[in-house]
Amino acid sequence: MKDFKHIGTNTGKIDALSLATGQSMFVDDISFPDMLQLKFLYSPHAHAIIEDIDTTLAEKYPGVGMVLTYKNTSRVIHTTAGQGWPEPSPYDTYMFNRKMRYIGDRVAAVAAETEEIAQEALKLIKVQYKVLPAVLDMEDAMKDEAPIIHDEPEVKGAYDPKRNLAAHILVKVGDVEKGFAESDVVVEDTFEVPYAQHCPIEPHVTITYLDEYGRIVIRTSTQVPFHVRRIVAQVLDIPVQKIRVIKPRIGGGFGVKQEIILEDVCAYVTMKTGKPTRALYTREEEFVSSRTRHQMKVNVKIGAKKDGTFNAVKMYVLSNTGAYGTHALTVASNAGSKTLPLYNKAPNVEYIADVIYTNLPIAGAYRGYGATQGYACLEQVVDEVAHKLELTPLEIRQKNHIKSGETSPIFRALGEGREGVTQYMQSCALDELIEKGAKEIGWLEKYGKKTRNGSKVRGIGMSIHMQGSAIPLVDMGAATLKMNEDASFNLMYGGTDLGTGLDTIAAQIVAETLGIKPEQVIVYAADTDLTPFDVGAYASSGTFISGGAVLRAAMKIREQIFEVVREMFGEYDARDFVLEDGKVTSKKTGKSVTLSEIAYQTLYVKNQHQIAATGSMVSPYSPPPFAAHFVEIEVDEETGIITPIKYVTAVDCGTPLNPELVRGQIIGALVNGLSYALFEEYKFTDSGRMIGSNFMEYRIPSTRDIPEIVPIIVRTYEPTGPYGAKSVAEININGPIPAIGNALYDAIGVRVHKVPYIPERVLEAIRNKK
Amino acid sequence: MLKLKNVKSCFTPNSIQEAIDMLKKSDGKAALVGGGLDITVFPNPIIEQFIFLNKLGLTYIREDEENIKIGATSTITDIAKAPVMQNYLKGNVKIALAEIASELLRNQITIGGSIARHHFYSDIIPALYALRATIMVSDGELIEGFFVDDFYRNDLKTLMETCIVVGVHLNKYDDSFQFGLKRFVRNATDIALLNMAILAQIEEGVIKDVSISVGSRPGPAYRFEQGEAFLRGEKLTEVLAKDFESFTKSNVDVAKDMRLSKEYRQHLAGIYAKEILLDFIGGVR
Amino acid sequence: MKVCYSINGKKKEFEINAGEVLLDVLRRNGYFEVKGNCYMGTCGACTVLIDGLPYTSCTMLAAKVDGSEITTIKGIGTLQNPHPLQKAFVEKGAVQCGFCTPGTILVAYALLKNNPDPTDDDIKKMLDGNLCRCTGYVQQIEAVKLAAKMLKKGDE
Repeated sequence: MKDFKHIGTNTGKIDALSLATGQSMFVDDISFPDMLQLKFLYSPHAHAIIEDIDTTLAEKYPGVGMVLTYKNTSRVIHTTAGQGWPEPSPYDTYMFNRKMRYIGDRVAAVAAETEEIAQEALKLIKVQYKVLPAVLDMEDAMKDEAPIIHDEPEVKGAYDPKRNLAAHILVKVGDVEKGFAESDVVVEDTFEVPYAQHCPIEPHVTITYLDEYGRIVIRTSTQVPFHVRRIVAQVLDIPVQKIRVIKPRIGGGFGVKQEIILEDVCAYVTMKTGKPTRALYTREEEFVSSRTRHQMKVNVKIGAKKDGTFNAVKMYVLSNTGAYGTHALTVASNAGSKTLPLYNKAPNVEYIADVIYTNLPIAGAYRGYGATQGYACLEQVVDEVAHKLELTPLEIRQKNHIKSGETSPIFRALGEGREGVTQYMQSCALDELIEKGAKEIGWLEKYGKKTRNGSKVRGIGMSIHMQGSAIPLVDMGAATLKMNEDASFNLMYGGTDLGTGLDTIAAQIVAETLGIKPEQVIVYAADTDLTPFDVGAYASSGTFISGGAVLRAAMKIREQIFEVVREMFGEYDARDFVLEDGKVTSKKTGKSVTLSEIAYQTLYVKNQHQIAATGSMVSPYSPPPFAAHFVEIEVDEETGIITPIKYVTAVDCGTPLNPELVRGQIIGALVNGLSYALFEEYKFTDSGRMIGSNFMEYRIPSTRDIPEIVPIIVRTYEPTGPYGAKSVAEININGPIPAIGNALYDAIGVRVHKVPYIPERVLEAIRNKK
Repeated sequence: MLKLKNVKSCFTPNSIQEAIDMLKKSDGKAALVGGGLDITVFPNPIIEQFIFLNKLGLTYIREDEENIKIGATSTITDIAKAPVMQNYLKGNVKIALAEIASELLRNQITIGGSIARHHFYSDIIPALYALRATIMVSDGELIEGFFVDDFYRNDLKTLMETCIVVGVHLNKYDDSFQFGLKRFVRNATDIALLNMAILAQIEEGVIKDVSISVGSRPGPAYRFEQGEAFLRGEKLTEVLAKDFESFTKSNVDVAKDMRLSKEYRQHLAGIYAKEILLDFIGGVR
Repeated sequence: MKVCYSINGKKKEFEINAGEVLLDVLRRNGYFEVKGNCYMGTCGACTVLIDGLPYTSCTMLAAKVDGSEITTIKGIGTLQNPHPLQKAFVEKGAVQCGFCTPGTILVAYALLKNNPDPTDDDIKKMLDGNLCRCTGYVQQIEAVKLAAKMLKKGDE
């Protein structure tokens, strides 16, 4: 493997010290004296029509700047999903509407001088609702007599709204029924994964204002600044040209900020009033009125030969998109497309998904993006097949998992809401991941041993995973580089760092390519006026797409530098030039010139021009990262309490561009997945109101909740990625549910079919077994 | 966001008498503020006035021959870190306190506030029940001590209109006494959904005396007197622990809510009852 | 009403509403380094030190701490002259989005003042009120231990 100077080193995250010393870097760290504060009024009914709304008193309340309802706002049907154009999500949303579809749907908003005034004015709005029957359960919503949630004629792109079907997927390879008939064993099981929230510690926040030319500036906590610009332009019916979106530092996203939630309303107020406007979600609003993970019921049926080879795999997904269909189709696609190719030996595969509208909060993008739910079931059923055939969980996976040089028909058959792109694995270390992980957890010594201490029993379990690196032939990112006198470079790119460290690896890529230090790269990102386009941070695309764009721009700069050097040296073969340590040296003649000298020459002396270049990256490849998860748990048979003892995750993300940051992505996703497996879940009243929309009730983990965690990075080289890199941000959220589920079975022979594995549920499963 | 928008004035009295005079004059519209966590998390729009207790000299942990005396404005952190608590009942009270909520909140939650609000916050009240703590209450002139049970038998609301909790006295117990507390939380920093505290005097393997308390959110903690009667005078054995488990399961009174069913809480209470007794057996050995 | 604090060593006087919490007073007056808005003391992003002890400023009545010394993250180190904790957090990859970082570092600072050689368990117990959704905490704990080492070596 090639030696790198900056790639693969732990360059300190370039924004970390500023963050750690409390510089004003977030959306809400600025203020304007005449800024209006935006507050929302929400529907108290899960399903209703607003018969009338009277805002007279609210408008007259001193300090109120504007009251917004369906009566005085633009009526453009759109999707809030921050996806590329044309969005694969249905157009089923208005900025404000008469139809209320869940408790937490927007009725009205008030923009006022202070939050307190806005809040008081909201109380003065009189609303008459006609309450409609609501449906909260997916299966109920599919019944003929179910109320129709999206009955407006303008709805576009939903599969069959009259049946509350936001999306439907059917993909067939071979003939599964024949495959099952010809199998020696057939195993089938169903697992249910609940509503959950991303819980970025910074909730959604947007500040909008007019610049000196009357253009609208949107400073917002987003993962998708360019999609924000396009969709706000669409909703406000103004040209893209009139809008500038700036993403400063953002306080975590995890998918929930791949959504246009506050930006359109805020911008509308600024457009109408001319005043700066701020909207900041409370924690309660973040839970109820932003986005959640799709609740899913996943059924997997596997037919296998005696030797363990899979012959047929069928997956059925029932997904709850809640009141609106944002990411409805694509999350469901990914539940299959990011899981089924892992077992590419099966000649017969079928994937079916129904995505249902219900009168519950809106599901959206969440780290893992459907794969988390798919694996929750698939990886437990794989274990069940192993048990039936008396194979170990390791053996059955080693027999069936995808390997380097191989492909799966699913890559082509199942894309993001349309046909996908065939992928051949060019880097895949799954065998090594399984081997190393098994060794670290002590698989041979511990598996099947059921070590007991009183009522507490130990068990171990494992699972394997893949994800992707961006959406092939869809996601595009671009980067611009320009050279300065001191051999520093301005990097302006659309990549959207949400805390992951993308800006840092971008600097590392530039430094590696141009023979400078990462500190010499001045990174400016994600500003629609000043940086080129990028789809944004989602689908594990940052390193691969945005990083790839940076590499392409840097390669062009290299060429431009060499072009100048050719003339300076009077040599013509750039293969003789070595660019490192801030200078170009000729291997042939020994001549040398510093980058700074080149900059002065080109800016001031001769044949003056700006050394600058833009690179774009779009790729037919979406190389999957791989992971093998291993967990040892202790389960108390008397109480049902599961305590994870040690968690090992072995990960192949190609070249780890910055191992310390890679570790951070691995552990962060893992701990999020652990708490999703063990305690996070929404609870609703019978009328559809979320109970406990705060951190006192919705528990997320603290330092005292984490087990020993051992991440193992297995280095491979992915030829299609920048310096051999693949993605790593999402994949590790997928393991804890199935790995713990399998460990639970190892310990006490019980499966819990509903996540999270809360003690009461586990105990019930234990009792049912007896 | 201003949550307590009706509050117009704040006072920081220098004596208990002064504080009570203000309280009496306030017509129910004043709030006594120890740490202030409760009042900010669950703001009450009736409140127009704050009476801060921080200058009353009630932040202390002292001991004499018979008692550990804890001032009302002492926080959980103060108490858990106090030297006198380190070996008190083998350090088990301290350990129980140090697991409540999070460090940041332990720094703010005062013992007086927890008592006066009879709050589900934390494991403080069940611990005080089991420890047979004496709650010291002042009306400005006299300081009167109540056992926890007697204190909560009062009409708390009326009492707190004219009095201030000024502290708690914990008996010092000799080596024949053991204390244990078990709690159920959804994750580490959660506020317990069920907790049980037991103090027992064990002499020559026999439970001479015992006090037990059970708390189950959202209900207030109570003294589990039937359980005490069941154990008193019995020989402490593993068999007894098992019997007590089933007795507790059928006789304990627990709340239920969306978080946890009544059945599961009863089941857990039984297990905790057994486990604490088994710990005591281990402790005697 | 008026209150007087010493913030990061500087005397400041503010006009406040009697029912306000400290977080709102600080942010209104430009102390944007204090984050958070759960207003229940549950996330810890709004942590400040009050007379040396860490508290969630979203549950602390501003009037109650009149006269106190308040330390925000800017009071323990600067971009030019960072505290070892701030350096260690950078080095160990303990800063991802950075929104919880100021609060977490302040609690760690209070810990190291009293316990210069903390175990993993000491750190976990002390930092349990500062929620972080990005890192999974492992690198934060490593960073606190690294900072303890740096401080012992006299890297102040």
